[in-house]
This record gives sequence, structure tokens and C-alpha cells, in this order.
Amino acid sequence: MSLKKYRKKSPWILHYNCGSCNGCDIEILAALAPKYDLERFGILNNGNPKQSDIFLVTGPLTYRSRERLVELYTQMPEPKVVVAVGSCTCTGGVFNDMYNVENGIDKYIPVDVYIPGCAASPELIIDGVVKGLEILEQKTKEIEKPKKLLGELDESKASIDRTKFAGNIDDRKN
Amino acid sequence: MNTITFFLILFAPVYAAFFEGAQRVLKAKMQRRIGPPLMQPIFDMYKLMDKRALIVNKTHTLLGLFYFVTLWCVVGLIYMGFNLLYIIFLHLLSSIILILAGFSVKSIFSHLGSNRKLLSIVAYEPVLLLVCIAIYLVYGSFEISEILNSPSHFLSLLFVYFALLLIIPSITKLSPFDAPKAHQEIVGGIEIEFGSIFYEFLYAAKFLEMIFAYSFVYILAGSNHLLGTILVLFTFLFVNLVDNSTARIKINHMVKIVLGLGVILVSINILGSVL
Repeated sequence: MSLKKYRKKSPWILHYNCGSCNGCDIEILAALAPKYDLERFGILNNGNPKQSDIFLVTGPLTYRSRERLVELYTQMPEPKVVVAVGSCTCTGGVFNDMYNVENGIDKYIPVDVYIPGCAASPELIIDGVVKGLEILEQKTKEIEKPKKLLGELDESKASIDRTKFAGNIDDRKN
Repeated sequence: MNTITFFLILFAPVYAAFFEGAQRVLKAKMQRRIGPPLMQPIFDMYKLMDKRALIVNKTHTLLGLFYFVTLWCVVGLIYMGFNLLYIIFLHLLSSIILILAGFSVKSIFSHLGSNRKLLSIVAYEPVLLLVCIAIYLVYGSFEISEILNSPSHFLSLLFVYFALLLIIPSITKLSPFDAPKAHQEIVGGIEIEFGSIFYEFLYAAKFLEMIFAYSFVYILAGSNHLLGTILVLFTFLFVNLVDNSTARIKINHMVKIVLGLGVILVSINILGSVL
């Protein structure tokens, strides 16, 4: 029996705000609320990376939030899908080229679905998540790594213990 | 133990998933939503099987598994008509195993969840014990098989039923007494470090907790099985209505309300049957 077809019947969402103005977050909550009712697809806003399948990210990725973004991404067990919600998350939006902003999350983690809009409307978010479900069905259980682990930060100075990262088994061997 | 009981025990986590599904559909209908399909918990369990396995440490994972197995034993003993006191203490043991699992990892959120679970046990466990004593005073036995064969004395256990209405949301983690669950605020509490297939055991254990809680309502009616079924259905509707229309209360208020009011209600019932 193939369990792959059940992936899209119960996708659980992890929602992370990396410096957004809360516009997109409000729209995500609207999509989960009774009017749009995302739960009819079996979608739950889980809030726990270890039990989630879809990573909904909002915001232009500020300098301070990138470590948490990568950490949350590595804690999610595969198969997983990353959905970038809003113009800021895709390209940096109005915050493009500011000193404290990384211009979108795709420098750090691989993104599967980009949802445009400032703020992205609930209909677009639902479309994006449903598109993400198609991608989720084709994914394998192979480990997906972030593109950069911690940017230019000196890890020894920042007292970051790499062994605490869940998805980082290859680095541990080295 | 006959064949029907054997299969009821064997497939308990599977058909209990439909209770959870029915609860989610009922809640959605109360909020004028379409809601998930009835099979949703089964889909969730299939999906969790398909995820890559993540383990924090072996003790944590094993204790999570033991929690599920112990709870399954509790449900088995209920169907086999065992002693109520054994069942309550075995259920307490399963909760303590879960709390130990929460304390066996370094995550502070897991510790927080364990502490909250401990407090909720402090709140409902004495009431549950007193409920057993009240049932013993009325039916003259702790054995479930004997209680279910003796004539119904539901009216003399009315206050016990009210106390059960108070503690069932606390056992099955529904609001206003869902402080140990508190999902978004403390990110899952005791369940936070369980992932993929190992979370599945905890997910299925939730359904078994529902069977445990509602079986107490069922045995209040004695040999009148129709009344028992009606009571369970009414309790299911009432508890979900309360869950939809109330907000969560603080953990210290939960202990005060559940322990205080519950003990008073059952004590009135016990005094009534002694005098």
C-alpha cells in the first residue's frame, strides 16, 4: 500500500514570521478561520516543526531571524515543502536592499512555492498551499539541507553547537 | 473473554479515531464550517507513518511508546469488566510515564508541558477516585462487569455525573480546562519533542483517553444500556458545546475549580448515599 497519497490529505502547517509587517500573517489566520476554512482539506496550524509538513514563511528575512529560519527548517522531518507568502518573502519587496534585510528567504532555504501579493490574499494562500501539496506528493524522504547554514556568522564565537541541529548529520561526521 | 471483546480491544485505536473525527466535524458544524472528513485522524496517522523518523533520545521515545501501550491496557481492562480501582491506577501510571517522557529531554517547553500535565492530574485524579467510591456505595461493587449487570441507579448518582461533566474536558484536554494542551502558546507542551511515527502513538493515545473518560459515564447507568448510550451521546454534545463557547482558563484556576467543585459535588453524593 502506498502511503504517498495520504500526504496531501493531512498537511500540517508551521507558520513562521521572519520580520513581516503582520499583513500576511493576518491573511494566513483569515484562511484558517471559519470563512475560508482550511481545515476542510485536513490542514492544521500545528506550530511545532517536528510534526509539520508545510513551512509557511512570511516577511523579508531580517538579519536576526535567519538563524531561527534555518533552525526551524532543519527540525522539520522530510518530506517537507516551503511556501514563501508575500512579496517580501519572495524578493524582499519594499524592504529590498535595506541594510538589515536579506532580500527573500531563498538565499537560505530552498523554496517550493512563491505566493506574490502585498499582502497575499487568503485565496492566493489557499491556491499556493494546494500547489505545495502537489509538490509534497512527489517528494522523497531524502534529507533536504538548507543552502547556507548560518550565513557569515562565526559559529565558534556565537557559541552555536552544531550537534543540536536535527537535519545536519553529514556535517557532524566531518 | 469472548471473541467480540477481543476484537473490540484489538481495534480500539482504529475505531476510537472516528470519535476524534466526529468531534472535529461536530466542532466545525457548530462554527458553521464544512470541517474535515470523518476519516481525518486516520489520514493523519497514515501521513505520520510516511515521515522520516526523528528521535531526540531513546528513553523519550520508549516512554512515549509505553504510555500508549499502558493506555491500551487500560481500555482492554475496561472492556473485560475489571476492577475500577485497578483501571484508575493503571491510567495514572500511564500519565506518569508520559510526564517522565516530557522530563527526559532538555527542551524547556517539554518540561513546562510536563508540569502542566502534573497539575491537571492533581486536579482531576482525586475527583475520579471519589467517583469510584460513590459508584461502589450505590452499586456495591468495584467490578465493572458486576456494575453493568445490576439494575440502574442513575438518579442516586446524579451529582457524580455532574462531577464527571466537569472533569471530562480536563481528561480529554478540551477547553476551558485544556491548559496542559495550550498548543500555540507553549508549542504543544508535553508532545513537542515527538516527531513523525513516534508522535503517532501519542496521537492515538488521545483517542484511547476519550474511551477511558466516556466509559465512566456509561457505567453510571448500570444495566440500562440505552440510558448509558444516551448519556454518552449527550455528554459528547455538551462537552463539545462548552469547548466551543468558552476560552481557556489559567492553570491555577483550573486546579481550584476542578478540584474544589468536583470534590464538593461527589462528596454530596457520597454523603447522600451513606446517610
